[in-house]
Amino acid sequence: MAITYAYEALPVAEWFRRNREIAGFQNPARAMYQTVRELVENSFDATEPYGILPNITVSIRPVDEAKGWYSIYVEDNGVGIPGQEIPNVFGRVFYSSKYKIKQHRGVFGLGLKMVVLYAQSTTNRPLLVRSAAVRSDKIYEYRIMIDTTKNEPIIVDMKEYNNKYKWHGTAVKVVIEGNWLNSKKRIEEYLRRTAIISPYSEIYFKGPDMEMVLKRRTIKMPTPPKEGLPHPKSVDVDTVKQMILESKTATLAEFLAKNFDGVGEGLARSFLEWAALDPNRSVGSLTQDEIVLLVEKMKAYEGWRRPRADWLSPAGQELLEVGAKSILGAEAVFAVTRKPSSYSGYPFIVEAAIAWGGQIAPVDKPILLRYANKIPLLYDEGADVARKVVDEFHWDSYKVKFPAPVAVIIHVCSTKIPYASAGKEAIAEIQEIEEEMKLALRDAARKLRIYLSRKEKEMEMLNRYTSLAKYVDEIARDMSIVTGLDREALANSLYKLIENKLGLTAEELAKHVLSMSSSIKEEAEAAP
Amino acid sequence: MGERARFLKQLEEWGAELAKSALSLREPVMEIPARTLGNTVWDERARMLKLGPEKIRRRFLDVKESRRFMQTVLMLSLIVEAMRADVFPTIRDLYYNGKHTIVFKDPLGRVHRENTWDEQAESNGVIEDIEVATNILREEMGVSADVKGKVVGPIVVRSQGYELDASKFGETALSLPVNVDALEIIKVEASYVLVIEKDAIFQRLVREKFWSQENAVLITAKGMPDRATRRFVKRLNEEYKLPVYVLTDGDPYGIYIYSVYKSGSIKLSYESERLATPNAKFLGVAPLDIERYKIPDQFVIKATDRDVKRAQELLKYPWFQNDVWRKELEYFLKSKKKVEIEALSAHGLKYLHDYIKDKIKNNKFID
Repeated sequence: MAITYAYEALPVAEWFRRNREIAGFQNPARAMYQTVRELVENSFDATEPYGILPNITVSIRPVDEAKGWYSIYVEDNGVGIPGQEIPNVFGRVFYSSKYKIKQHRGVFGLGLKMVVLYAQSTTNRPLLVRSAAVRSDKIYEYRIMIDTTKNEPIIVDMKEYNNKYKWHGTAVKVVIEGNWLNSKKRIEEYLRRTAIISPYSEIYFKGPDMEMVLKRRTIKMPTPPKEGLPHPKSVDVDTVKQMILESKTATLAEFLAKNFDGVGEGLARSFLEWAALDPNRSVGSLTQDEIVLLVEKMKAYEGWRRPRADWLSPAGQELLEVGAKSILGAEAVFAVTRKPSSYSGYPFIVEAAIAWGGQIAPVDKPILLRYANKIPLLYDEGADVARKVVDEFHWDSYKVKFPAPVAVIIHVCSTKIPYASAGKEAIAEIQEIEEEMKLALRDAARKLRIYLSRKEKEMEMLNRYTSLAKYVDEIARDMSIVTGLDREALANSLYKLIENKLGLTAEELAKHVLSMSSSIKEEAEAAP
Repeated sequence: MGERARFLKQLEEWGAELAKSALSLREPVMEIPARTLGNTVWDERARMLKLGPEKIRRRFLDVKESRRFMQTVLMLSLIVEAMRADVFPTIRDLYYNGKHTIVFKDPLGRVHRENTWDEQAESNGVIEDIEVATNILREEMGVSADVKGKVVGPIVVRSQGYELDASKFGETALSLPVNVDALEIIKVEASYVLVIEKDAIFQRLVREKFWSQENAVLITAKGMPDRATRRFVKRLNEEYKLPVYVLTDGDPYGIYIYSVYKSGSIKLSYESERLATPNAKFLGVAPLDIERYKIPDQFVIKATDRDVKRAQELLKYPWFQNDVWRKELEYFLKSKKKVEIEALSAHGLKYLHDYIKDKIKNNKFID
């Protein structure tokens, strides 16, 4: 793990006050949901990219019911945090800006700091962290608070244990003011949806009045994203300034070739020539205005290579199908992972899955499950471009007539998700993304249509079989009475005649139809 | 009962043909003459309706036909069993004996339930199918229907050894048996047969001893005649040469009842030769009788749309293609007036007698 952070201290209390609303801590219920979310996403980021199958435990317990205080505990089997880094990771608010880009759930740090500050501002209880890095001999346990004036960790208590069983991972416990009743549904839904897109994880959740186990459905994991350099179109002035600080002596051509994706010396020179900038100028000598001009030119230039998608890690068709089938209990799922595309220099991939039938109840418009970088989006559905795309979709061209048992999953992964609002719960109407969503949905719906028409045909065949076969016993009995011929032989012949006519046996027919619709079988078994 | 044994064997052979075809994996198919208006032909020489050459093929493997196929085989087994046991069920008995629920579990385990038949019309239909397919009449199979026919008059018959004199029933009447061919007619000394559509009029004429004054045999089948009554009328006409007159209400339905006695019905055209009485005459009440016999307006009823439709159909039937009928029916369609037989009582309670006598003596009936 070689991520380098550059950070500077901020007046923490001020920063917290400014960001509390938009970071999702505006009321106790939402803060509780947000806390679970931040901690769980950190757990995923500590496991999945390292090829570890995530085991995540979430536990919420009331601490003081009159005050609405709850303890929230999240444990994972991830790579852990080296002991000496723990106080800084949890106890100092970083202002991190990464030069390296890749797809990640959260920026490790920011959301977490919000959790710590929220806990501190409501219950003033220290945060408990227990962690062991891979192959560490020791397990470290800290109780930490943040000194909000100095932006420094206060270590309330620290212990070390022998790591006899070579455990690795991180466990965090915070005590916050929350509202279980009003957040219960959302937290459950969040974890359920997380399990859909990450069926390789095992999540155990215990709330004050319930328990939920989301079992691992597969051990196949998506390819972890690679780390890469940003695309020249995707950076802003501040970022470029930060980058220049790290390589003051480089020439413009060297700077571009070293820090940006898909840019070699040759391409850098062509661009600089087009932009009328001196390639041999050292970047340290650029004035503020020149830096602004440089960034403007970088954004305007059409000669760059397309952004690469290696930094992205889509769930993939197979995992989407496994997840939706098991968690939603769908009869069939059709998933599509589109080819990478880009907007404003950011690569992105859209995935869509359509889940059909089974335990999905018929609805007047499709249930929509939205994801951004594998994070379920639960709020602000109406503002999300995915909702618009799903609602405007011509379902009737794909044999879907509402009410229908249909749910749609739309996943956008990108190095930068364009959110519609600061709440980060809805994806904005970016034309390129909208277009890809439409195409993904269309591709998935085509598969659904094929399935539905095949099913229609098989059911029709079954109905034809039934409408003849149901009379066989009666006819055989009557013919036997009239002629004295063997009743069973007559019945067998009549069945054989039907099978010859339809061109397949009853067993084959049942197998076909059964494989297509497990739901019907369940229905039949439930019937008296 | 040797006759019945022969018919039984014929039915068994028909069933065996279907069963053997199934066993040798050829689709069992029943060939059944079509009992439709389109397959009903007017036999000009015999002056009756007959079954045409058209046949339907009822196939076991045809989704649209399989249910009727099952019903036909079921009915065949019921009839065969009854004949073997030498019992004489009615068509209603057969309906009840055969009615049960078929339970079928399909390959998906779904359970389907279906009644062999729901209404008697369905079981009656397949009986008629078996009759035309095997050319054996239901009476010959020993299957009967409800008998509606009643007779009064100078006629003596023998039934199961008992002699019954139809002139000695007082205000009641002799009921016709299921199989009138088994009825031995010992003596008939009537001058004509009067077939009366309505039971009420029949009873009135019996009470008023009309039959003894006229020396006539009175018969009613209470509306649309059943097969036994029609057969009996035909026997009186053809075996005993008695003229037959039909008295009905003065509306198109009454005229159609007359037509059934005379020419046969569309549904049972295969039985016309046994049932139709081509010599039967229509006594009345004819549409123009309203004017001829000056029936007062308060007894005249306005025709319904159904009456009009029926009259238009009658006009198209080949057996109504003559000037007299055309005049009567066109008058009806123009005036839209109809009357019941009772309307004749407008001129006094005994006027009905005079009306009938007038029609017969002065040849005012229609052929």
